[in-house]
Amino acid sequence: MAGVTLRSVRKAFGSVETIHGVDLDVRDGEFVVFVGPSGCGKSTLLRMIAGLEDVTAGEVAIGGRVVNDVEPADRGTAMVFQSYALYPHMTVAQNLSFGLRMNGNPREDTERRVAQAARILQIEPLLGRRPRALSGGQRQRVAIGRAIVREPEVFLFDEPLSNLDAELRVQMRVEIARLHGELGTTMIYVTHDQTEAMTLADRIVVLRAGRVEQIGRPLDLYDHPVNQFVAGFIGSPRMNFLAAESLGGGRLRLTGQGGAEIALPAAQGLAPGQRATLGIRPEHVLGAGQGECDLPLVVDVAEHLGATSYLYGNTKAGEPLVVQAGAARGAHAGDRLTISIPAARAYLFDPDGRRMT
Amino acid sequence: MARPDRSGHGGDPSSVVLSNPAPESPPMRRRTGTAYGFLTPYLLIFAVFWIWPILYSFWLSFLATRQLPWTFRPAMTWGRLAQDPAFLNALENTLLILVVQVPVMIALATVLAVLLNSSLLRARGLMRFAFFAPVVVGEVAYAAVFRLMFTADRGIVNKVLEAAGLPAVDWFSDPTAAMALIVMAVTWRWAGYNAIIILSGLQSIPDDVYEAATLDRVSPIRQFLFITLPLLRPVILFCVVLSVIGTMQLFAEPFLITNRGGPGGATETLGVFLYRQGFTVLNFGYASAVAYTIAAIAVLISLLNLWLGRERA
Repeated sequence: MAGVTLRSVRKAFGSVETIHGVDLDVRDGEFVVFVGPSGCGKSTLLRMIAGLEDVTAGEVAIGGRVVNDVEPADRGTAMVFQSYALYPHMTVAQNLSFGLRMNGNPREDTERRVAQAARILQIEPLLGRRPRALSGGQRQRVAIGRAIVREPEVFLFDEPLSNLDAELRVQMRVEIARLHGELGTTMIYVTHDQTEAMTLADRIVVLRAGRVEQIGRPLDLYDHPVNQFVAGFIGSPRMNFLAAESLGGGRLRLTGQGGAEIALPAAQGLAPGQRATLGIRPEHVLGAGQGECDLPLVVDVAEHLGATSYLYGNTKAGEPLVVQAGAARGAHAGDRLTISIPAARAYLFDPDGRRMT
Repeated sequence: MARPDRSGHGGDPSSVVLSNPAPESPPMRRRTGTAYGFLTPYLLIFAVFWIWPILYSFWLSFLATRQLPWTFRPAMTWGRLAQDPAFLNALENTLLILVVQVPVMIALATVLAVLLNSSLLRARGLMRFAFFAPVVVGEVAYAAVFRLMFTADRGIVNKVLEAAGLPAVDWFSDPTAAMALIVMAVTWRWAGYNAIIILSGLQSIPDDVYEAATLDRVSPIRQFLFITLPLLRPVILFCVVLSVIGTMQLFAEPFLITNRGGPGGATETLGVFLYRQGFTVLNFGYASAVAYTIAAIAVLISLLNLWLGRERA
């Protein structure tokens, strides 16, 4: 087992730099998730750790050893690909054992490892089948099995659940969490799905445009985002953002809300007339009169999920707003409601998107 | 040697869509009738110039046609096949070319395809066209160029051999050399064509399979042997079948380059023999039997290939 360290890691394709100096310490046995929108560089970063992409500048170390110039196979990593990347002409058993057989691993040891991986992933009945005779979930298990038999120090997952349907995704998510518990190996997992990140990670690394925005435990990111991007990316449905302007003395006018005002301690630092953005999570929005600032809302779409309901609406100025409606469970599209924002739950971001506290 | 499938039935057999039409409603039936109306001119021409000659030549293959009136004497056509030394010679030559040329060309085409697929290669588009181009060159033109290149005293090939200190070869008089010349010519003409087909197969193998193998510490050569080749099997098999059919019909090269299958029948193929029987001797019955034999052997060898290359469960 080993930790992974990135020091000022950069990646450029020709003259275009896509990773702009990433520093990260992944501890031994930790489950770290890289999350971010498409094109943020999370897969590139993972592939640099695997050795499938060269490091333009900086250092990648695994288990304390700098591996920039070490062959991918010698880094002690195993990777699970989004497309599974199974060998289509081989049976499941052959897929699992291929790498070991090609490297002259003793036959008994190969068989033991394959049997162990098959048992862990419950794919023993599938060992004689070819990949095309397997469902998406089964293929993903085989792909994970192929990583397990290598007995790596670090597992790398590149969006492994993207090709699965919603139900299977939840199931496999639980299995990967169980696998981490069972093996205790360092795992680095790339996804664009913040739910996967929140549920799986010991720590989440939020990336945007090749830069780390924030690193932290899931609930820390959720409760204490350092900027508007992280606040908007972590949490589903995403945080609501309302345009605001300082009136001085910690008071804000919500510019899109017909002069509605709210007092926030964080706004003390703003000069009168300075613009800012107020953030409020859907589940923190309250019914009329229960918070410090009441706003009218026209419901466009009401999603009733049973345990909870989401109301998607527009405020007076056309700013979209999502409300998790415990109280307004019976609301329907077209309804006009009054909602209220509790100051204690509101976030404030300066014009550059940095959170103000 | 593979040739373009002129029947229009080429392509990936797995792409055939099976349909299970429901009983037709009256408007549907009317539309089907209209479609057949439009197809009728083609179907008439197809029947007269395609189906009828095929059926008629089958009937001809049982007739003695050396003298009038033509009489039903299968012994003079089918019976003669097994005893005719000229036919057996042509069969032997054809099979020899098949056994030597097809494997060499397919192996060469596979290597070419890998090279044409390499990211290290510059001007890839130009290279791909260059290797495909021989197919576009007219048979007569290319045969003339080969004859010039291999002429005993003035040909560039012999000049190069002599410059390298090797003896000149009499390409058109020496039976073995003539056969080698045919094999080289056919390989030059069709290797690039097959390489392009194999290249399309190569490009359908996803990169991440190779990345997974790289992480599994599988060397590039082993990746080629244990991943690329098995995954290319259906495409290579397709090329082999095309080439077998093409070789069984081989005509232009021995007719034009080695002067009607010369020297002394050393490069006479079944195609040239068929031509000689049909259009020089005018023995249509025997020529028809030869034609059916060529088709039957091509089908048998192709089936054998498909059986050997079948996907094992």
